[in-house]
Amino acid sequence: MPERLGRFLTARDGTRSAVVRHYEAMTGGYSRLMARAEVEWSDGSVETVVLRGDPPAGKAMVETDRDAEHALLQALCVGTTVAMPAVRGYDSSGDELGTKCIILDHVAGRSLQALLNEHAEHELDAHSRDLVDTLASVHSLDVDAVDLPLPRPTSWEDYLGDLIDRFRQADRTHVESVPFLRYVAAWLDAHRPPALPLRLVHSDFQPANIMVNASGAHLLIDWEMAHIGDPREDLGYYNVYSSTAGPNLFARDPEAFLARYRERTGFGEDAVNMGTMAYFSSLAAVTVYAQILRGAGALARGTNSGLMTTYTLSALSIGHGNFLAGCVAPIPAEVV
Amino acid sequence: MLSRPTTEQILLDLRAELLSTIDAAVSEPAAKVAIQMMENVLRNCATRAAHEIAWMREETAAMVEFAERVGSSAAASDELRAALARHRTERSDSLHLDDVAATYSLAGECLSTALEAALAAGADELHVAGRGLLEQRLEHERAIMGEWTMVGRG
Repeated sequence: MPERLGRFLTARDGTRSAVVRHYEAMTGGYSRLMARAEVEWSDGSVETVVLRGDPPAGKAMVETDRDAEHALLQALCVGTTVAMPAVRGYDSSGDELGTKCIILDHVAGRSLQALLNEHAEHELDAHSRDLVDTLASVHSLDVDAVDLPLPRPTSWEDYLGDLIDRFRQADRTHVESVPFLRYVAAWLDAHRPPALPLRLVHSDFQPANIMVNASGAHLLIDWEMAHIGDPREDLGYYNVYSSTAGPNLFARDPEAFLARYRERTGFGEDAVNMGTMAYFSSLAAVTVYAQILRGAGALARGTNSGLMTTYTLSALSIGHGNFLAGCVAPIPAEVV
Repeated sequence: MLSRPTTEQILLDLRAELLSTIDAAVSEPAAKVAIQMMENVLRNCATRAAHEIAWMREETAAMVEFAERVGSSAAASDELRAALARHRTERSDSLHLDDVAATYSLAGECLSTALEAALAAGADELHVAGRGLLEQRLEHERAIMGEWTMVGRG
């Protein structure tokens, strides 16, 4: 791979030649193959790049489209102020690097999750504010003013209906009945929240996908499931994800967290509050859940294999718990 | 067949060997993450091997009983009647794992349609009873899952 990458970068640069001095697989990426390479250019400069490629066919935990991800990354880099590592190249056929692969600038820093894992209690308030501001920067983007290569829902009402229907679709297409799914869909349909403007949704918004550079700035990575949708999906997803891989910065002071988010986005308290947070904590993980369930179904049918698919089966159970937690049951008559 | 040591014991023994012998001999970070994942999967499989047939049978009986209760109430729907009919005709008493899982899935469909019918009818008592079955199912899933974290993330 180092030789292939050197040839790839040399061909893209046009004037300099590149030699890969060090190459290593990166841990932590669940859906794609990740690697880091130190590159020395013929002018003497040295830099580090990150490779993000597709696993072999039938080995991916989730199936997403590299062409679509690359197109989105390009659009975000060029046309918006959303902070993310720059795209350095793309092997769209896999002919040069052995698999479809996006090359990104390496961020000299650590993920927010790594920093939180070693946090001191007094640092958490600042991390919480930074996290909210990063999310708000994504959700403040006017998607009508930027040419993003993403499908546009016709309306919030239709979009939410389609999102809820993913629970039913997941149940319908899986290899066995999963009774949580249609129950949650029925509950969510009957308790729809007030609408918000449709915005760019990262869809896997969690501290492991936020790189923090040397100056403390946040750069968002892993955009493979991004879409135009309800911005509260990211809030709910963050809450349920961080309840498993903490600390949960929302849960430390929920009202302050939401107040800052409202202030940064301009969204009202009627739409962003504890009730809608609970609702989207139930709903938001369906995108990732459905992908993992699809992998589990493929494993059962014999069309997918791999440790990552097997290992993440437990994430489905975490999803079931989160789904139920957001759907408040009626109080039995004898208790009232 | 040899029933002792049980499958649970064998899998837990493999897990212990993985941790004590193989993990100690490995230094490459990606391989160490894979070992942690395998340890977790082996532990999950051990719990499933010990209990999954009993748990599926118990849940199946409870799901069908609940669905029949909804089916005989004013909340009954055509979908629920169809799911119950399919369960009656396609269920199996075989204890082979594939057969138990197939019958469990038929019962799961009965529960799904029964809960949908209960919610649509605003039948709160049935809603709460059906939700209790989901919570029982989740309790079993959590017992299988044990301690689970996103190994290697960060």
